Amino acid sequence: MTTTSSTRRGGAVARLIIGRTFLWAWLLIGLVPLLFMLITSIKPAGIANQVPPAWIFQPTLDNYASVLSAGGGKSESFGQLLTNSAIVSLGATALAIVVGVPAAYALTMRDFRARKGLSSWILSTYMFPPIVAVIPVFVFAGKLGLMDTYPALIIPYAAFNLPIVVWILRSSILQLPYEIQEAAMVDGASTWEVLRRIIWPLLVPSVATAAVLTIVLSWNEFLFALSLTRSGAKTAPVGLQQFTGMYGTDWGNITAAATLIVAPILVLMVVLRRQMVAGLTFGAVK
Amino acid sequence: MKATAAPSDATLTVDASCRAAGRTSADPRGRKPLTWKKRSTPWIYMAPAMIVLLLMTVAPAIFIFYSAFRNDKILGGVGKFVGLDNFIEAVTNASVQHAFLITFGFVAVAVILEMILGFALALPLAAQTRVNKVGAALMLLPFAVTPAVAAMVFKQLLNPNYGWVGYYLGVFGFPKGIDLLGDPTSAWIVLVILDMWQWTPFIALILMAGLQSLPGEPREAAMVDGATPWQMFRHITFPAMVPFIAIAAVLRTIQAFKTFDSFKILTGGGPGESTEIINLGIFRVGLQSFNVGLACALGVVFLIILSLLIPFMLRIIGRRADPEEM
Repeated sequence: MTTTSSTRRGGAVARLIIGRTFLWAWLLIGLVPLLFMLITSIKPAGIANQVPPAWIFQPTLDNYASVLSAGGGKSESFGQLLTNSAIVSLGATALAIVVGVPAAYALTMRDFRARKGLSSWILSTYMFPPIVAVIPVFVFAGKLGLMDTYPALIIPYAAFNLPIVVWILRSSILQLPYEIQEAAMVDGASTWEVLRRIIWPLLVPSVATAAVLTIVLSWNEFLFALSLTRSGAKTAPVGLQQFTGMYGTDWGNITAAATLIVAPILVLMVVLRRQMVAGLTFGAVK
Repeated sequence: MKATAAPSDATLTVDASCRAAGRTSADPRGRKPLTWKKRSTPWIYMAPAMIVLLLMTVAPAIFIFYSAFRNDKILGGVGKFVGLDNFIEAVTNASVQHAFLITFGFVAVAVILEMILGFALALPLAAQTRVNKVGAALMLLPFAVTPAVAAMVFKQLLNPNYGWVGYYLGVFGFPKGIDLLGDPTSAWIVLVILDMWQWTPFIALILMAGLQSLPGEPREAAMVDGATPWQMFRHITFPAMVPFIAIAAVLRTIQAFKTFDSFKILTGGGPGESTEIINLGIFRVGLQSFNVGLACALGVVFLIILSLLIPFMLRIIGRRADPEEM
């Protein structure tokens, strides 16, 4: 008995060590691309793509300054691209929240017979592949003169994030005790007043989660930005690809630009890790 | 509650107060029949969201079903009705068949590998220790990186002349200046590794949350009864994890079918057409060759195939995410 339990314990310890080694090996190797990006971005001009890679050098922020400054043969500064990305992401988020909150509330109304069918429909639109939408939207945007404008990206981004937004908010409202709403109704409040004065204040944390998710996913979007913008509304991830064509091997500039795109998103995601995962699973995993 | 409702008393209608009075009766089903106003209220609240969604999903779907039967070109004026020509082209064209085939292959291989590795990472990560908090934050990092940026960084790392990968492989005796993206097989391996690097953390974090939410009693009881670790995993942990595995698999499958950025940037479908998945194919036909009709026919086929995933999504996500239990 003692021998079997001790070998069993030995096996468990071995398993634990193997598991943890695998976990930390994965985490550390996974950091390599990010470290490459960060290290290359602070290398002085000329040694960024030196072979063998330089490991000892005087760190500099020159690449960041160069990327953010306008002119110098560049058609637009990277700062403008980041601004476009921010406008589009925040615009899409504002639109998704403004239309998403009332919709989520409607989907919790007990007298609303269609609520289950509509909830399912909204969830199922998450499946809709963007590549199938991009050609019609390209044609529509051309006809409406919206090509290369902010709305041409804001509306699709809001639409593609609405299933997530509506489902997060809907499940948050359903988790509030219904008696609060009922009491207000008995006191004569209209549905709008219930939403405005009772549900909205309690919903703010969930709205924040939904908003951050929409910002991140819009900021990261590539296909629509690539297809629907030329210069006026071009976002940073698309601009970065043209950078690589334009600057070829100026890796210092390219990785500095890449770091500027990724940094704000990384901060948001790490701070709100649990909420992000819960949100991206439509609240199915808490 | 009275205080919050008080300022709105002015807007209080007789109808509303009557209804409110009716609601105070003991039987909650003894409500008066719904007025037209009350019936329309939720639809009014739904309308803006429905308009946005109709505009970006239903309207494009109608457009592609219509255009798939025509030969419109974006730059070539108005075309005409051509019947099933585009669909015949879509199903008989060898490179289209290849595109669909490799799309399924990619999704299957990437999702299966990510599920297995994600579970293997979630098991040690689920122990709630201080070190693991750091681990979970590190885990999230690749997942948080903008996919287009990740692909570009990978491309630099793999650059045959200047990349770290080529150089350090050379140090360990591999041929110098190896171009991993220049060969179909190694290009595929790189694309799958990039996808795994970016998305395995998503699965690991879902499964970690799942493992942490499992009650401890069944495991403790089994341990007292002398179950081996493998028996406990096989008969207790794994069955309890099935819903979480299903959620992660369904979501990841849907996302994998949408993969575009990494292929576009890393290989652009090459070398040759060896990595041209259907998303790239539709993009090239529709937005680079401007053959809208054929691109829409491909889109219709792709949309129909993906629609088959909807019931799974509704069952698995809908049921668990819904406090009302659909």
